[in-house]
Amino acid sequence: MDSLTPTQRDRGLDRLRRLTYWATAGGLIAVVGVGIAAAASYAGKASSTATAQTTTTTTDTTTSSGSTSSTSSSSSLQSTPQAPTTGSSGSGTVTSGGS
Amino acid sequence: MAVAVKSWKALGTSVHVLSTHDDGLEAATTAVRDVLEDVDEAYSRFREDSELTRLNANAGRTIRISPLLATAIDAALRAARLTDGAVDPTIGRAIRVAGYDDDFSRIAAEDFSERGREMKLHAWRVPGWQGIRLDRRLRTVCLPHGVELDLGSTGKALAADLAAAAALAAVGGGGVLVSLGGDIAIAGEPPPGGWRILVAEDSRVKPDGDGDVICVPSGGVATSSTTVRRWSRGGVVFHHIIDPQTSLPTSGPFRTVTVVAATCLDANIASTAAIVRGEAAIDWLTSCRLPARLVENDGTIHYIGPWPDPTSVAA
Repeated sequence: MDSLTPTQRDRGLDRLRRLTYWATAGGLIAVVGVGIAAAASYAGKASSTATAQTTTTTTDTTTSSGSTSSTSSSSSLQSTPQAPTTGSSGSGTVTSGGS
Repeated sequence: MAVAVKSWKALGTSVHVLSTHDDGLEAATTAVRDVLEDVDEAYSRFREDSELTRLNANAGRTIRISPLLATAIDAALRAARLTDGAVDPTIGRAIRVAGYDDDFSRIAAEDFSERGREMKLHAWRVPGWQGIRLDRRLRTVCLPHGVELDLGSTGKALAADLAAAAALAAVGGGGVLVSLGGDIAIAGEPPPGGWRILVAEDSRVKPDGDGDVICVPSGGVATSSTTVRRWSRGGVVFHHIIDPQTSLPTSGPFRTVTVVAATCLDANIASTAAIVRGEAAIDWLTSCRLPARLVENDGTIHYIGPWPDPTSVAA
């Protein structure tokens, strides 16, 4: 077998570097892809309690009577962006009370 | 600003729809009626043909349910989780045993005390929401044996939110307000200054009655009270807010709580939980950073968070 010239050796090393680079990049892409797929297919547990309850914790959209409405499913009770004010202005009075 | 109003009765309570677009009121009303009919079919406890009735009759089995019932159960479970079980949907049997087993107009008309039936009260803890298996993706639910759901607490407020969103979509602009028995949901652009809301203990108080009037631009307002929806059995007076720890009507220091939140559902969760939590309610509501008004049994009023200065303004 003939010995390699320095030029041939350098080309071979370049090919090995490119091969290593693409193999590493492909591996990373595969790891991320499998991770995303696993996260999407396994809902996990809502809490550390021993229940097997499956619930979602994101904003959920429900279709009812042909109309689409959003219901909050956040992890805390949500306040309004603007606090209520005194009733000296405004329109359309209704009563909030027990029923 | 002129606001168009339509009122009627549904789900055993009063319904008010307000629209800033006079010509949109009919469409808004139709949309709200449709939502309420769907709600009644999905989770009425008093209809033999409702999905909830069928579900309660099939505890122990995995049942496929409609998107609306799945949303309602999901909302109830979230309420239970956020209140550490103070608002628990597994009170169904407790409230039925207490005598609230029919449309309230018929319950209120009866009084078993006159029949001489003595009622003995036993405290027992409700089964608990943790045992409910809900799969939102498959839209299936399984109740443990012996569990009956009652979605009355969160269900009406959720219906108000859904109805307001549907009404706004039907009108196509402006602002709408939907009130279901005093549980109020707001959607769209409010009138200048916001929607005026009279805060009372009973939703049947006329809007021009005396009391605190606040203006709310968005979100929801809910009031829970032990002073309404009361009935008697065997000489014992009951009300509809059940303490999951005892399965009996609550007996804490607050008779009425009103909360303003981003949605009517969240407001109702907070107001109901406050009644159930009793003395701990003020600290808990403060930690939630929700504007609230609490009325003690002796009439003393407490204001929590950014609640406006109390005013009595005639409409």
